[in-house]
Amino acid sequence: MRKNRTALLTILVITVFLSSCQKVIQLDLNSSVPQLVIQGNVYDEAGPYIVSITKTVNFDVPSIYPPVTNATVIISDNTGKADTLSHTTDGNYVTSTLQGVIGRTYTLNVTVDGKKYTSKSTMPDSVGIDSLYFKKSPFGRGTLVTLDIMNQPGKENYYRVIHFENDVQATGFSVFSENTNDVEKISYSFMPTTDNTRNAPQKLEKGDVITVWLECIDKGVFEYFRTANREGGQNASPANPVSNISDGALGYFNACTVRKAKIVYQQ
Amino acid sequence: MVKNCIYVFLILFVYLLPVQAVQLVTVSGYIRDAKTGEDLIGATVSIKELSGRGAGTNAYGYFSLSLPSGQYQITAQYMGYEPQIQQLDLTKPRKIDFLLAPRDNSLGEVVVTSQRKNDNITKLDMGVQKLDTKDIQNIPVIFGEKDVLKTIQLLPGIKSAGEGSSGFNVRGGAVDQNLILLDEATVYNASHLMGFFSVFNSDAIKDITVYKGNEPAEYGGRLSSALDIKMNDGNDKKIGVSGGIGLISSRLTVEGPLITDKGSFIVSARRTYADLFLKLSKDTTLNKAQLYFYDLNAKANYKLDAKNRIFLSGYFGKDVLGLGNTFGINWGNSTGTFRWNHLFSDRLFSNTSLIASNYEYRIDINTGIALNIISRIQDYGLKQDFQYFSGTNSTLKFGFNSIYHKIIPGAITASSNVDLKSLTNKNAWENSAYISHEYTFNDHFSMIYGARLSAFSLLGSGNFYTYDSTGIAKDTTYYKSGQFVKTYFNLEPRITFNYILNQQSSLKASYARNVQNLHLISNSTSGNPTDLWIPSSNNVKPEIADQVSMGYYHNFDDNLYEFSAEVYYKNLQNQIDYRNGAQLNFNENVESQLLYGSGRAYGLELFLKKKYGRFNGWLSYDLSRTERKFDGINNDTYYPARQDRTHDVSIVGMYELNKRWSLSATWVYNTGNAVTFPTGKYEIDGKTVMLYSERNANRMPAYHRLDIGATWIVKKTSKFESSWTFSLYNAYGQENAYTITFQNDEADPTKTVAIQTTLFRFVPSFSYNFKF
Repeated sequence: MRKNRTALLTILVITVFLSSCQKVIQLDLNSSVPQLVIQGNVYDEAGPYIVSITKTVNFDVPSIYPPVTNATVIISDNTGKADTLSHTTDGNYVTSTLQGVIGRTYTLNVTVDGKKYTSKSTMPDSVGIDSLYFKKSPFGRGTLVTLDIMNQPGKENYYRVIHFENDVQATGFSVFSENTNDVEKISYSFMPTTDNTRNAPQKLEKGDVITVWLECIDKGVFEYFRTANREGGQNASPANPVSNISDGALGYFNACTVRKAKIVYQQ
Repeated sequence: MVKNCIYVFLILFVYLLPVQAVQLVTVSGYIRDAKTGEDLIGATVSIKELSGRGAGTNAYGYFSLSLPSGQYQITAQYMGYEPQIQQLDLTKPRKIDFLLAPRDNSLGEVVVTSQRKNDNITKLDMGVQKLDTKDIQNIPVIFGEKDVLKTIQLLPGIKSAGEGSSGFNVRGGAVDQNLILLDEATVYNASHLMGFFSVFNSDAIKDITVYKGNEPAEYGGRLSSALDIKMNDGNDKKIGVSGGIGLISSRLTVEGPLITDKGSFIVSARRTYADLFLKLSKDTTLNKAQLYFYDLNAKANYKLDAKNRIFLSGYFGKDVLGLGNTFGINWGNSTGTFRWNHLFSDRLFSNTSLIASNYEYRIDINTGIALNIISRIQDYGLKQDFQYFSGTNSTLKFGFNSIYHKIIPGAITASSNVDLKSLTNKNAWENSAYISHEYTFNDHFSMIYGARLSAFSLLGSGNFYTYDSTGIAKDTTYYKSGQFVKTYFNLEPRITFNYILNQQSSLKASYARNVQNLHLISNSTSGNPTDLWIPSSNNVKPEIADQVSMGYYHNFDDNLYEFSAEVYYKNLQNQIDYRNGAQLNFNENVESQLLYGSGRAYGLELFLKKKYGRFNGWLSYDLSRTERKFDGINNDTYYPARQDRTHDVSIVGMYELNKRWSLSATWVYNTGNAVTFPTGKYEIDGKTVMLYSERNANRMPAYHRLDIGATWIVKKTSKFESSWTFSLYNAYGQENAYTITFQNDEADPTKTVAIQTTLFRFVPSFSYNFKF
């Protein structure tokens, strides 16, 4: 977060100083063979849990991703329980009996057209949100949303924060890790955005509801979102995020705990 | 290979080092500017009776020639100066100091053809570019701030690292593979203000030489090039003040004698005031912002006696970027050099240098808790160089260099109990010894050959990790302070031949090996002040480059035009790249994020220059390729490096319209950089994510730009000079792509678009310059 702020500020100042100009250009980009995108979550809440399977499309066509409807999807845990997911619509597969339990390792098996993809994810201990509040940004006039949590000492903890503004999920990936030896309150701040196109800060209005999910994730999922977040922009050699799914499938499989909190903007 | 080299060099030394049958008598001395007393570097003395053979002055303006006793006519000359001729009855050793008068560059003056030199044909310089400070004065650059690093990017084989960048790529090398020396001290970050300005204030600079990979053996430590910048010594005749007031920066230089003809000083300072414009902003965040840089060059020298002279030079520069009290980042270099010239005899010249260099950045954040991060790279060095002039056909150079590097990757201090650990400091000791011998066999054939032996040691203290091929720590060892963790020895042979076909043309060939033990870790397209230097270690091996090159040189129209064609092939070992999503900032285990591979670069460089007359300038064209190969990237095959540009053209023209007005223009064109564009897209949690396939399979659009400039001399007398310079950067407003990003269409989120950002179109600037 701190680094992002530094970069943001630098870019801001430089941009203003140089008053650069932007325009949409036509590029003849290479096409690619459609690839499998798998996205699945198992929570420590009651199911059903969803695994969605779609395919990539070329850059220059509309962003409508063909669903994969003929897959065999099985999630099993390390106690021998297994659940075969059934397809509903648009490449979404749902569980019927599976219940996420803290400490268990879940295995995702997906078979599409005879090709197998697997992934493992372990559900870490849960951490709750102590408090959730608004804070004036030290930079400019924006408003930050801050959540305080009690970090668990003695091991590396990985967190993902998802937020919704008026029930619309904000795009973008926020993950962070903490490794301390003390029981310690840690604060995490972000600037709420709902702008799906630009990730630009948007002004909050009175009555806006911000819902925050705090997920405790494992290292593989953390690496996925961390690397997904770094791509683009000024990166000299952009590459695909490091997925925790085998055999070249894109996306992630995440067994995590989730704690939720809500706050209404009053000013 | 290396062993054979040693034998060859030993044999050469034994056979070629002079066994003197005839008693030789030495004539030696200095060549200086008559007006300012500045030493003239690379000026020549030639002996008419030896069909013009002679010697050149070294970096301190010293020459030494040993001849059989007799009558000689000796000529001292230097580009842009009136030559001097002396009759010499040489029976016993003589000292002659030449004071050359700068040629009044007035209009229409016919340059006597005999004064035009063909040094480029006869000298052993190959893959070398020298810049005239005069060229730097006249060539228009962005914001009207004349700039050494921007100007060298117009020369063959040297390419700009990006729009407005002071970073440069030499013969396919990376930006960190250039050794940048300012009075012998290493400058680790040569950029001000994200690279739009270089740290070199051209008012303080005397001489600029770039060696493109086959540098003489006294240079070492970087793969691609050595850029040797020497500061002015200062006028030892009279006090002089010069300066300039520009749109966003001003500068002032004061120089003068400490004791007339014995010692002098120069102080040159510069500051930008871009943040004054921010103050005009209504935005309370922006008008509190700070955005400026300053730098200061200072140098003094003193002649103790005829045999001893000392120099003290320093550079201090800083960039400041801040937002009120909440956030600030500043960075800068400081260097200091103390030098002692000593003549052991009139044939043995010695220079001893004590060198210190520091680059640091500091980030301050105050959001309730005050936190600051400091990162530094510090060098302390001792350098000893000897030059032995044994005749008119033989010069021996040898010496050693010892540098202690201290790297502080990130030290944190905080006002309250913040749980952030400082990174472990790195210490390294770099030692090298070199010898090189320049020998002229006859009027046609000459060679310079030598070798450099380098030893680089990583020292404790701290925990040192060993990583496996996937970047997982296998093993940790603790080393005590000063304990050797790892030492690398490398022998770097260098050799250049010159075969003079006739007075107008020559053929040259060379081979050189270079080794680099400090590596800049940066994965951003533009380079950041926070990029980190790391030493070679138990994981990171020294980078090695072997370059062979050949060239044909031809002058025509009585040396009015110079033409050269050079080809080179370079093989690179132990190159560094980064794992996908590598965490390079503030990472104790940054070495776990690295990948190692190989590379190759080859190309053709054509250069045509008109050196004299009302109209002069040059034309430069490069055809080149530079590729890398890493396990796991692009199926382990060669792919173009980011800086690979097939075609690169620079045209520079300067025209003296009349005594008051001179005009200049430059035009550049290059193939776009090799980049990775998406080949597809998909969606994760509502966010469009780009799909990437092959590394660097795409190209940025070709880049081209015309800059024009004009200088108007308002007044020019011997007491006072004043002038205005005007320039227009990107005169036809080409929308060059600085970056291309891919995102959802703002108007229609079901579509994605490519957005091109252009930085500069039509940037006008003017400045007022004065001198008295």
